[in-house]
Amino acid sequence: MDVLISALSSLVQGFASLTWQSAIMVLLGCLLLYLGIARKFEPLLLVPIGFGVILGNLPLAGLSAYDKGGIINLLYNSGILTELFPCLLFLGLGAMIDFGPMLGNPRVLIFGAAGQFGIFLTLFLALQLGFVRQEAVSIAIIGACDGPTAIYVTTKYARELLPAVSIAAYSYMSLVPIIQPPIMRALTTKKERAILMELGEKKVSQRVKILFPLVTGIVTILIAPMGAPLMGMLMLGNFMRESGVLERLVNVSESTLTNIVTLFLGLCIGASMLGGNFLRWQTILVFILGLIAIALDTVTGVLLGKLMRVITKGKINPLLGAAGTSAFPMSARVVQKEGQKANPRSFLLFHAVGANAGGQIGSVMAAAVMLAIMSGMGIAPLP
Amino acid sequence: MKDWAFGLTMTILGMGVTFITLYLLTLLIRLLIKLFPRKEDEEGEG
Repeated sequence: MDVLISALSSLVQGFASLTWQSAIMVLLGCLLLYLGIARKFEPLLLVPIGFGVILGNLPLAGLSAYDKGGIINLLYNSGILTELFPCLLFLGLGAMIDFGPMLGNPRVLIFGAAGQFGIFLTLFLALQLGFVRQEAVSIAIIGACDGPTAIYVTTKYARELLPAVSIAAYSYMSLVPIIQPPIMRALTTKKERAILMELGEKKVSQRVKILFPLVTGIVTILIAPMGAPLMGMLMLGNFMRESGVLERLVNVSESTLTNIVTLFLGLCIGASMLGGNFLRWQTILVFILGLIAIALDTVTGVLLGKLMRVITKGKINPLLGAAGTSAFPMSARVVQKEGQKANPRSFLLFHAVGANAGGQIGSVMAAAVMLAIMSGMGIAPLP
Repeated sequence: MKDWAFGLTMTILGMGVTFITLYLLTLLIRLLIKLFPRKEDEEGEG
């Protein structure tokens, strides 16, 4: 009889160990699955993350990112803590990205810098709200509008915030078509939005396309070595693409490798979202600040666009400034759409894609400089 | 260093270096385009 009771009690241990925090997190995981599948918000990420949240919060399963020896812990230690996964994602991104529109109109690259200003403004805000410097930097980097960069910085300095920062970064990237347009319309007049820009893409020689990632990688890494893993992988991927002789490697990088890493990354992030460290007021603040960061990126980008319009005597449409974020290619499509709403003859896509590509480079540079300054000041990661 | 000074340092250096780097890249791209202009036989491609 005792044996029977012991056996039965072992079968209900899971239910007995379920806390209210775990239950809420399981429901949250289900919500992420709903958003990914039914509403199609970044399903490639939200579905693995959502499932990871469920698996990681089921008691006694050993599937959280922190359960030593568990399969997800193995992936977490080897891919997240080593920063390998974000770097591999950047390799795939580099293989996918076409810098041609930007090379044909290099001045749009400057929008890629303005599109990062929100990061630093949010940093101030986060510090005022009581976050320590390491946390403030990790939260502010959500404004880079780039999941791998946000994961890279947060893993280095404030690992506990990784789940919240990752979810915020990826969610807001998919919400760019909702976040940006009202800000773009509020800061510009219809006349400004209707400005026609030169049609057609200015093509550059293949040599320029091949040399650009090589030169950019060398220059940016010399300026900010701490960004080397991300920038190096991004430029390697692009160099392989443009070389024209590595089709097999490019195909694998942009599809199979990216898909595998996306799956594992999402699973690990989800499984690291445990009730104890996620269900805090701090998490809500992270989400609010992340949204503010991206909104401020758009504000500063559009304001630079307005300045460029004045400098170029009306040749630049200020909407282009909104494409200077790293949300590639969503921001470019938003700019195209808003431009056409104001003027059906307007075709801003090539210019916007150029600015968007500049934003990709700008976000990595901004992150690299922040890391360099933190390192130079001797600021250690949080335990 | 106080928090506001930290934030200001980050902003000035962060935005400054990012702007300068991207401006430098703009110049390098223009140089590359001048050194390696698109040839006529590339006109028909992609």
